[in-house]
Amino acid sequence: MDIKITEQADNLLKDNGVRKEEILDIIKNSESSGQKLKSKDGNTCIAKGASENLTIYAVYSASELLDVYTHKMNILGITGGEIKPVEYDDASDWICAKCGEVALERNVDMSYLGVTRPGPGLVCAKCGEMYVSAGMAKSTLKTAEAILEEKRA
Amino acid sequence: MPAQDYIPIDSDWLGKAGSLWTTPWVDKPSDRVIVDPIILSHAATLYRKNAGYFYSNPDEAVRMVCGACELYDVTPVGHYLYADYWGADYGAEIKIQTNAPPGITNRPIKTAEDVDNFEVLSTEDLVKGPTLTTHYKALDTVKNEYPQMFAPITQLGGTMEVATNWASIEDVFMWMITEPELVDKLCVKAGDHMVNACRATAERYGANVMITGSVIASGDLMDREQIKRFSYQPVSRAVRKVLNAGAGPGVYYHLCGNHTDDFDLWKDAPMSPFTIVQIGYDGQNIFPTSKLVENFGDRCTCFGTVDTKLIDRGTPAQVYAQAKEQVIAGKDSPRGFILGTACECPTNAPPVNVHALVRAAKDFGKYEKF
Ligand SMILES: [Zn+2]
Repeated sequence: MDIKITEQADNLLKDNGVRKEEILDIIKNSESSGQKLKSKDGNTCIAKGASENLTIYAVYSASELLDVYTHKMNILGITGGEIKPVEYDDASDWICAKCGEVALERNVDMSYLGVTRPGPGLVCAKCGEMYVSAGMAKSTLKTAEAILEEKRA
Repeated sequence: MPAQDYIPIDSDWLGKAGSLWTTPWVDKPSDRVIVDPIILSHAATLYRKNAGYFYSNPDEAVRMVCGACELYDVTPVGHYLYADYWGADYGAEIKIQTNAPPGITNRPIKTAEDVDNFEVLSTEDLVKGPTLTTHYKALDTVKNEYPQMFAPITQLGGTMEVATNWASIEDVFMWMITEPELVDKLCVKAGDHMVNACRATAERYGANVMITGSVIASGDLMDREQIKRFSYQPVSRAVRKVLNAGAGPGVYYHLCGNHTDDFDLWKDAPMSPFTIVQIGYDGQNIFPTSKLVENFGDRCTCFGTVDTKLIDRGTPAQVYAQAKEQVIAGKDSPRGFILGTACECPTNAPPVNVHALVRAAKDFGKYEKF
């Protein structure tokens, strides 16, 4: 797989403190393990990786890196301990590529600076893999992390 | 009363209250549980003004609230809101009342066709509308005059509350039986409105705390299936959208009234790292904090309650006894605990009763978990 990194994507990498080799590695690992999210039309994927205290996501197509985002809050597991059915439509727009199951919008416990709280996640009920969407990570989690950094200082 | 008529907030008190207030959100140790009696127009009575005066003067209203917070030694946040938000933006009339929060009349949706034709206002239009103009006048006053007591809150209620500020409660309840799909449509529009309103606050102040939940949609008026369909599900969708749109991160689930039959649904409602759940009643009785913590304590911050009827018409001893039981059951809840009232502090509640609530937190709310 030959993933092109445009100037725009390169800037995103810099903004997020992620190296080019790192993101390409994350994509490579996801492609070989199959552990990734795939859009319903199959054209876009999300791969997840970790570096020290950062969770890194690559959003990519077959040919180029489309988006990069990160969060410092560390995903621990499903809020409440297990995936039980909920009484609302929790199907996300993403599919776990490994299991072929629709990823569910569920709360996941996240920990940062010694504080554990829930956050909105994307979860595969079959393999249990947990992700955070770009919208959530870039806004809600960024603000939450900033508040925790300020208040836990 | 202009700003110079108020004495500045005691900075020592503010520092201590700020530290108590931080604990339930970020687990930073402090001495004891903080109390939030949800003071709104009650503050006006401490200044010998009435609810009408309070709601006609949003800047003065928050000065009174901030002063009341210090007087009672409670959560240092300058709140301003009332239940009937968002009617006026769509053409309803708002009526300021002397002894009660504002009420709306002449709601814009009167027929089924009105529901179909109803268009949710954009964020830009909402900012120019009467609700947010007044709301932001209050919040801006707090931000400028009491910056440490500022919180960017947006009052929404849930989808049923927004819907019944657009259409009369009688019509909505009738449609629930005769044309439930119409109420579904209304709730979808209410959800879209919630997202746009939260966006406005987040854009203005950089973050937003949404007050949502289920008030009219409680066991007193609706059964579990109705609450699920018209409140829990559309509210959950709206909260997800709000968080995804960067219009969080605060989520306050205010489940007012009786939630015996539906409280468990909300355990899986979308949550952010700054989520709080408050449940009013379990049947006729105050919702036991032990039950709240048992169900929500390993998920989010819990808001334990004392009966507002007791605050309004009970004795200090009765308030103190109930507050004692609730605070002991909740204080060491793993993800934080706040003691407060089941709903806003009644306008004319005796101040000694609010004091009794706070005393109970001081006497029995010392943390043991740190
Ligand atoms: Zn899977």
